[in-house]
Amino acid sequence: MRHVSRRHFLAGAAVATTGTALLGRAPAALGQQVRELQVWHTEVEPQTVKTIQDTSIAEFEKKFPGFKIKQQALGWGDLNTKLLAALAAGSPPDLTHLNPFMTASLYTKNLLRPMDELIRALGEKDIHEATLKLQYFDGKYYGVTHAMGATYFAERRDLREAKGLKPPETYTDMLTLAAALTDEGKRWATQMPGEKLYMGFVHPAEWLAGNGGSWVEPKTWRPQLNGKPMLEALDYAQKLNKFMPQGWSGQKYLDTLAALATGKIAMAHLSGARTIGYIERYAPETMRDPDHFQPMFRPHGPQGRVGISALDGENWAVFTQSKYPNEAFEFLRLFYKKEHYMKYCHSVPIHLTPIFKSMINDAEYLSNPRIKKWRSWHDFMVRGLNEHRFLPIGFSRPEDNLVPFLAELDGSGIVADMVVEVMVGGKDPKAEADRAQKRAEELLTQLGAKRWS
Amino acid sequence: MNRHPLVGWLLLAPSLLLLGGLVLFPIVYNVWLSLHDKHAFMPVQAFVGLRHYVYFAQDAEFWSSVRYGVIYAGLTLVLQLLLGVSAALLLNEGFRGRNLLRGVVLFPYMIPTIVAVILWKWLLNDSYGLVNHLLLAGGLVRTPVAWLGKDHIMESLILTSVWQFFPFVVVTYLARLQTIAPELYEAAKVDGAGAWRRFRHITLPQTRNVLFVIVLLRSIFMFTKFDTVWLMAGEGGVSRYVRTLPVYAYARSFTYLQAGMGAALAVLMFLLLLAATAVYFRALRGDEAVA
Repeated sequence: MRHVSRRHFLAGAAVATTGTALLGRAPAALGQQVRELQVWHTEVEPQTVKTIQDTSIAEFEKKFPGFKIKQQALGWGDLNTKLLAALAAGSPPDLTHLNPFMTASLYTKNLLRPMDELIRALGEKDIHEATLKLQYFDGKYYGVTHAMGATYFAERRDLREAKGLKPPETYTDMLTLAAALTDEGKRWATQMPGEKLYMGFVHPAEWLAGNGGSWVEPKTWRPQLNGKPMLEALDYAQKLNKFMPQGWSGQKYLDTLAALATGKIAMAHLSGARTIGYIERYAPETMRDPDHFQPMFRPHGPQGRVGISALDGENWAVFTQSKYPNEAFEFLRLFYKKEHYMKYCHSVPIHLTPIFKSMINDAEYLSNPRIKKWRSWHDFMVRGLNEHRFLPIGFSRPEDNLVPFLAELDGSGIVADMVVEVMVGGKDPKAEADRAQKRAEELLTQLGAKRWS
Repeated sequence: MNRHPLVGWLLLAPSLLLLGGLVLFPIVYNVWLSLHDKHAFMPVQAFVGLRHYVYFAQDAEFWSSVRYGVIYAGLTLVLQLLLGVSAALLLNEGFRGRNLLRGVVLFPYMIPTIVAVILWKWLLNDSYGLVNHLLLAGGLVRTPVAWLGKDHIMESLILTSVWQFFPFVVVTYLARLQTIAPELYEAAKVDGAGAWRRFRHITLPQTRNVLFVIVLLRSIFMFTKFDTVWLMAGEGGVSRYVRTLPVYAYARSFTYLQAGMGAALAVLMFLLLLAATAVYFRALRGDEAVA
């Protein structure tokens, strides 16, 4: 082996290092550096991810050759965690989905960019009122909903009709129906999802909204967890628990859809058009139709007039710290371009109902085979929108978009603890509500949101 | 060395920098953070001194999480020891297939926590889980048991954790067993000592040191265990019934978004462990075998 002197070795190493570094930088030096637009969203269905890639992303990358879009589809809980970590690190994505109850919190911290120009370009008057002003603060828009879904009961219509009962209007009707549909040891009437987000935030918000209550007193922001509307709702939930499988609090939302499709329960407490996919996959072949499975509105409480469900529609948001905000807005224009948006909405029909009024009853939109087959589910969605039976996830009243601490209230698990102690633990609703009220007051005080004396 | 003290320090510098940056700085920063009211992701903070500590002293959630942590760590520790030591004793004997079994025993410890938890959640699911299926088929229960519900979630969590972590005890204990001189056992046998007496008077004293270390390490590991607990129940309504201190600290930091309070909980957890370790050392200090 030939001897290599130290001097030669060092010189060779220096040349190799410089060469490697220059090669690594070559695209930049040649003006070919590809910039990456980070886009995070919550639509995890593979066909939806592929549709976005093949439509709006493909056109964007063609139009802006120096850019690549990296889309990341994350489940809601994962997105939330990842987003908070990214914000803490000061490097959020360029464009992301947010839930409306988080938007106010981020807006008050000056983290969001207004998007009035985009909204006007999309057609302000054509965007459905149920979503248009959810991210509207101080005269400016800070978000635009990607599509509309809704949560409601999915029921075994055939079983209910066999009992000669109508869809329930009130808590009392619902308990009567639940008792009738429970077949001890064989089938339970209903099942709530065990995830904290749903049983500890989405449903309690619906209960408050459907029973004349609200999370906080509108002027003072004092929590209202031990008010009459919540106490009545807790009493209802405790009674409903008797008609649910014992282990529901340890199961997940998707488990409840599978349980409905396979006949283990008669009503999925949290359902949406995504349920259709489960029915078509797991229900007995002769039952995969709207004659057997139907959506059903929520009942209302003694203080309410109409049952309210959560509108599942995250909004796109662009952060003040986004690296490429202009390109993010450009991408959104392409995302909502009719030909692309139609394909996007068709990737999970009905679950992704268009935000544009002109498209909801558009012949092309309705021509999708699944919408044709499950037309009654689409009509139900439209009826709910027209009758104002939906409120964004976690909202107890429309004005909750201005409450800046709903994300923290949800995250604290205070409401979830109260609900689980009352429903599963069988504890006294008043005592648990008082405890939750005390904890919530402490939390808001710590967050500097206390306005009451 | 005395002639070139600077060279010595320069050689030590990378290690010192690494230690300082990766160990000391996070600890000091965490203590500093615990004295502030700090939002999880907003660059706003205010000095509050010991206010968070005073708050937690009166916080029912904190004491509940300590209680759940002690129950979880205590029971998993005892069961890991029983199972691990028994398995190690068995694997120390000569029999056909011993080497294969030694490898198999390590399996739970080698798989990622997420896989272990998903596996057990699937097995224990009350709608479609294998455990309930077998119980029902065997006529042992009439309706499925809600293993992941309020009444059994702690047992399920303990079962999963013991299954996943007992191989640590097996490996550590077995390593020590293999170094005990066989002559000791032969002599005891000649003297007429049965299996139990040999275990009590030879094995146990000989393995005392390793047991001391196992108990210490596993107590710390289990009391600070986050991933298994979180994955098993963290996002669910039942988390209330297994909310240990690390989970509560995480929640304060990343779901309540109160990083300062989360940091205070981490400091408290450290102090609790420090106190428990000191008591443990003191209790066994007089024992020469341990010292």
